[in-house]
Amino acid sequence: MLRHIATTSLGVRLRCSAAAGGSGLHRMYHERVVDHYDNPRNVGSFDKNDPNVGTGLVGAPACGDVMKLQIRVDEESGKIVDACFKTFGCGSAIASSSVATEWVKGKPMEEVLTIKNTEIAKHLSLPPVKLHCSMLAEDAIKAAVKDYEAKRSKPSATPLEAKAADA
Amino acid sequence: MAIRSLKRTVFRALSSLQSPSYSIGATKSLSLFSISKYSAESSTSASYSHPNFTCNIISRCRLSSLTEEESHVPAAVNYASLLTEEEYHKLANSTIHDLLEKLEEYGDSVDIDGFDVDYGNEVLTLKLGDLGTYVINKQTPNRQIWMSSPVSGPSRFDWDQIAKAWIYKRTKQNLFKVLETELEKLCKNPISLS
Repeated sequence: MLRHIATTSLGVRLRCSAAAGGSGLHRMYHERVVDHYDNPRNVGSFDKNDPNVGTGLVGAPACGDVMKLQIRVDEESGKIVDACFKTFGCGSAIASSSVATEWVKGKPMEEVLTIKNTEIAKHLSLPPVKLHCSMLAEDAIKAAVKDYEAKRSKPSATPLEAKAADA
Repeated sequence: MAIRSLKRTVFRALSSLQSPSYSIGATKSLSLFSISKYSAESSTSASYSHPNFTCNIISRCRLSSLTEEESHVPAAVNYASLLTEEEYHKLANSTIHDLLEKLEEYGDSVDIDGFDVDYGNEVLTLKLGDLGTYVINKQTPNRQIWMSSPVSGPSRFDWDQIAKAWIYKRTKQNLFKVLETELEKLCKNPISLS
């Protein structure tokens, strides 16, 4: 009985929103953004202690946007062989970071640093108020590359081992 | 849930910013924490059936790369060196109200089809018809003014106490100068905002 009521009211709500959409709601997410939301690509996590993984964590919960973008780099070729992301934020932020993971795969690190937020924004047809999401995605890519390079330039001992060695 | 693990990641990241070995390159330690209830509209994965959730998040802590001058890598911000919230609101509100007045006058003097200036919910929207739309708003947690421009894209201005102006750290540009230059180019009419 309860379920019947729930599905009926849900059905009514859905019909209402469909009607609103049909009557020409002019502020809508572009279909590419909706696609990334409905069919998320590359959502996940790599082991951040893996020496071949670079992790970029950008944004702030208070601002409403946090993106974590990770890249797995092939040491020899310097190419990004895999990427994944997790984003806390609006549909545009999710789509921007999802697009970022798609675009960095298979590319050398120097090349992904040239990915611009304007390209992401254009690809997703982001409205003016959401351009900041694409900038955050660009920052996430840069942060991930920077993290990988910082890891590579560190001495081989992990921090814990180094502390134990000092003690 | 992936959301919880992302939260854990954020918490871990925030707490481990104290340690020098943290690889993301945060150089300053965090000074203040406060816990606030944060309610968000959507989450990362469509496979979870409830998009609405509340989470207790440590706020007042920034991992944003946006104020890093050279390297565009997240850095923790020392809040003691920033404006207090009250000062920030006074400054930002007066800046945006100034802009609103000047832009309204500007609209009277230029002939742009579809020109519209709107201010609501502390967001200033300047429509220039086919030439594009500017959105200028406050970003209180970061003590910034954010602008979205059809010419230069998104930019985030911090208050510079010395210059007494809103400056975008990456380009060292002044908010008013950027707007003046861009508007003059777009509308073929100069404007003075300072």
